[in-house]
Amino acid sequence: MAKTKTNTEDYLRMYRQMMRIRTFEDTANQLYLSAKMPGLTHMYSGEEAVAVGICEALTDDDRITSTHRGHGHCVAKGANFKEMFCELLGKEEGYCRGKGGSMHIADQSHGNLGANAIVGGSMGIATGSALRAKLLGQDDVTVCFFGDGATAQGLLYEVMNMAALWNLPVIYACENNGYSEYTKTEEIAAGSITARAEAFGIEAFKVDGQDVLAVNELTQKLVARCRKGEGPFFIELETYRYHGHHVGDINREYYRSKDEEKDWKENRDPIIRFRGYLVSEGIATEDEIEAMNAEIEKDASEAVAYAEAAKYPDVSEVDMHVYAD
Amino acid sequence: MRHDVTMPQLGMAQDAGKIVSWLKAPGDPVTKGDALFEVETDKATMEVEAQASGFLTGVSAAEGEDVKVGAVIARISDSADDEGPAPEAPATAVPVETSNALPEGKSVTMPQLGMAQDSGLLVSWQKSPGDAVKADDVLFEVETDKSTMEVEAGTDGYLAATLAEAGENVPVGQAVAIISAEKPDAPLARSAKSPPPSDHETPAVAEATKPERAKERPAPATPTPQPTHGRILASPKLRRLALEQGLDLSLLVEAGHPQPFHVRDLDVLKALPRKSAQPTAAAAAAMHHLVAKVTGDALPAFATWAGETHGLTDPDAILAALAGASLPNAANIAVDRFGTSQTYAMPDSRTLSGVTKTDAAPDLILRDLRGTTIRSADMGADTVPVLTITLRRKGLRITLDCAADQLDAQAAIQLLTDFAGRVEQPLRHLL
Amino acid sequence: MREITLSQAVNEAIAEEMRRDPTVFLLGEDVAEAGTPFKVLSGLVEEFGTERVIDTPIAEPGFMGIAVGAAMTGARPIVDLMFGDFIFLIMDQLCNQAAKIHYMSGGKLNVPLVLRTNMGATRRSAAQHSQSLQALVAHIPGLKVAMPSSAYEAKGLMKTAIRDNNPVVIFEDKLMYQDKAPVPEEEYLIPFGEAHIKREGSDITLIATSSMVQVAEKAAAILSKEGIEAEVIDPRTIVPLDEATLIQSVKKTSRAIVIDEGHQSYGITSEIASRLNEKAFYHLDTPVVRMGAMDVPIPFSPALEDITVPTPDRVIEMACKLCSGEMIHAA
Repeated sequence: MAKTKTNTEDYLRMYRQMMRIRTFEDTANQLYLSAKMPGLTHMYSGEEAVAVGICEALTDDDRITSTHRGHGHCVAKGANFKEMFCELLGKEEGYCRGKGGSMHIADQSHGNLGANAIVGGSMGIATGSALRAKLLGQDDVTVCFFGDGATAQGLLYEVMNMAALWNLPVIYACENNGYSEYTKTEEIAAGSITARAEAFGIEAFKVDGQDVLAVNELTQKLVARCRKGEGPFFIELETYRYHGHHVGDINREYYRSKDEEKDWKENRDPIIRFRGYLVSEGIATEDEIEAMNAEIEKDASEAVAYAEAAKYPDVSEVDMHVYAD
Repeated sequence: MRHDVTMPQLGMAQDAGKIVSWLKAPGDPVTKGDALFEVETDKATMEVEAQASGFLTGVSAAEGEDVKVGAVIARISDSADDEGPAPEAPATAVPVETSNALPEGKSVTMPQLGMAQDSGLLVSWQKSPGDAVKADDVLFEVETDKSTMEVEAGTDGYLAATLAEAGENVPVGQAVAIISAEKPDAPLARSAKSPPPSDHETPAVAEATKPERAKERPAPATPTPQPTHGRILASPKLRRLALEQGLDLSLLVEAGHPQPFHVRDLDVLKALPRKSAQPTAAAAAAMHHLVAKVTGDALPAFATWAGETHGLTDPDAILAALAGASLPNAANIAVDRFGTSQTYAMPDSRTLSGVTKTDAAPDLILRDLRGTTIRSADMGADTVPVLTITLRRKGLRITLDCAADQLDAQAAIQLLTDFAGRVEQPLRHLL
Repeated sequence: MREITLSQAVNEAIAEEMRRDPTVFLLGEDVAEAGTPFKVLSGLVEEFGTERVIDTPIAEPGFMGIAVGAAMTGARPIVDLMFGDFIFLIMDQLCNQAAKIHYMSGGKLNVPLVLRTNMGATRRSAAQHSQSLQALVAHIPGLKVAMPSSAYEAKGLMKTAIRDNNPVVIFEDKLMYQDKAPVPEEEYLIPFGEAHIKREGSDITLIATSSMVQVAEKAAAILSKEGIEAEVIDPRTIVPLDEATLIQSVKKTSRAIVIDEGHQSYGITSEIASRLNEKAFYHLDTPVVRMGAMDVPIPFSPALEDITVPTPDRVIEMACKLCSGEMIHAA
């Protein structure tokens, strides 16, 4: 009960952002299942504390690069449901005017440099953003989100080497959800993940990715140190994705058991845990949380209705934006 | 290449047509322009022509069926036994899910489960219509290419309607159940193929719409390659110049000039004596004969409009203006009909009201044969290019005859395209 | 006018743009004190420091990716790729990332970067240091491709590339670094998509890129003595391509040979020949002929290497055949 007012607001915002991600993903999944959404999408459900814990430690000037499983990062960095759903449905008012879709949402106004459909494809971009900050004397920090699967890409080691050599303000955030697509991480990653960064002299941390406060606290410290020129850093966040690799990955017992999924959902869910904490600490009542949830639910269904009715881009846009002026 | 055959929109306020009869059977070879089927609209019965050549396949609408305008009812394929997916059963005239026919509630749809799956087999219902259901109750089982999945109700309530039967394949995204908040008075159970409840006499069409695939059709004849001997080897540029100047390249062949011919051989060709006073083969080839077809005849309505709006009462002046506007420069246009002829001057401004009568020699003749029984005319070129308008069954036929030295190929195509466009939509093309 | 080498021209262009715009910086292998193995960048680190002339580890995908990120967030990197052959190492960063980011983001993000690299055989460098890979890059929408044919073009195109808001790949001919040409003292830029008519002629058009412009000019000089006046055109940028100038010339001459040092199949020459065919067919008196590098890996032995690339003699022979009306490539 000794929480300050500022913390109260921060905590409620963290809860709200996690709930917004969960609601967004549930809604997107329904769109897919009802064949209303073209293409495929990769659900972030279960990993909310990672994106929110990290992004709540950043400002709009700080940049992130995201992944194919990117809706969570996008919401956590401040994106609106309306433009996101429009993008998912390929509509003109989407963040990328319908040209990017689920796997390429970029929201530059909040510092999101974009999701990337190449696994590990954005590691260079994040490191380059940090080099730019150093070169131009700007004090923003860049966070590079990637999964355990992407640690197998050689690019990571090339750019960590350079980031360490040049003390760049970049944080490599490895979301270890235990599976590299349809394969257990232990089958694709030899040795320790954090040791990979340590080999370059990069300070590496391992944190419970289902504990939003732990993630946030660590990130705040590292962001502050990055701003002082002490970067780069590496965080391994232990987390879990509730859905398959993508929405069409339904039958997955050949690589992970239903019992395991159930255990994570029931015993380690970041939202349930944090909700319990908010109530027990007296930061919010159950009724207040239910009201917040209902409001988010309404926001999502209104955004979907809007997006469904929204216009597709005019066909004349097809060869627009190939080149910048 | 497959072409869809769709129910055409025939009247202004018509959204469906009844298929009176098929004039071709599945598997039949068809040629573009062949009558394919007969349609009855509110006004009349008419034949619909094939828009492509090939074989009629995938017929999915039966005789007697009312089909929505724009619905695909068959295909024209490259082979009689085209294995492509059959077109979806055509949307019937009355929407399946009318609000008074189905109970209100949340619909549960056939989920999309795999990456390349567009329908699911409904294996069994775990609940019966009228049952109370919880959100996480299993409602039905679905089989996809890989396995069987249980689908949950997703919402609390009552199973007010089942819209597919066990054993049916249901397209992804199609509603298979309705969960109502209130206990339904008359829970509904229906097949996914059920005809809509309506006053129309369309019972059990779905079963009747799958035609037998034509078997044992001979393979379509492959075109035999044209023999190439006897072809004159000449450059594209020389061919163009010879055409434009009415010169016959075969004269070079007869003169024993070595092939391939290039532009450098043009002077030799010009120096060779012409075969005879008769038009040479090359000169005949140097005639342009182009035909355009226009749907409907918008000219009478346009003439009325022009009269009311601009006080233009001479329909021939309007015709002359439409032709003149299709030429790049100011020109005199003669309009011929019933043996009379009047020439109009189209000024540089090329405005409709700027057209005046003139006695000058025409640069273009426009023969309007709409008022006659002549349906097609091929009268060759005159001293100037000739546009001829004749009636056809559903509109107008416009031909352009000219010599290559009057209009080159590009200009001829441009003129006829522009003029036909203006005739089809005079308002839009009015300068 | 003063004459400087192509190498000096590139160096001057970069130095001028770095002075003009503090967001411009260089990175690549051995670009600082070493000034690259071809010494093109010598002296820049003294003026701009190691902060803006950055030596990288030998990690092409890594520093290319870093350049993309820096470009997306407000800097203007010039990436030095030591050999054009190493483009294969950076394909994901160049083609999946840099080329597509502007489009995928619906026009919100720009990637203003320059990738300067080289091309050209006959340097006895064998198969992995001799390729001319411009066609690979030109195939990808979103990338621009410049191919300077002399010191003058090298400077003007480089300055335009640095100011362009798109990823631009510049292929320099590694055999031309020491070739001198008149270059004005005063500042100038060469706009993209404007071909340069190097020599006017009425009988045949020789369209040539980069290293092949010299070959075409030598051929044209000899052809002139034979009574054949060849028009030599340097497109200068392959993407965008000044199609209009090429078509106009071919309409005048009715004949064309397209010469580029990339492999002949599926290459720049094929693309240009196709466009002439589509858009000037009725003006062609002979087939448009492609001349590119033979479709073999570039061999090491001088006896073999020299016959893999187009030469003035081969251009002259083909031009004479075309102008005499001889049957070309008949089956």
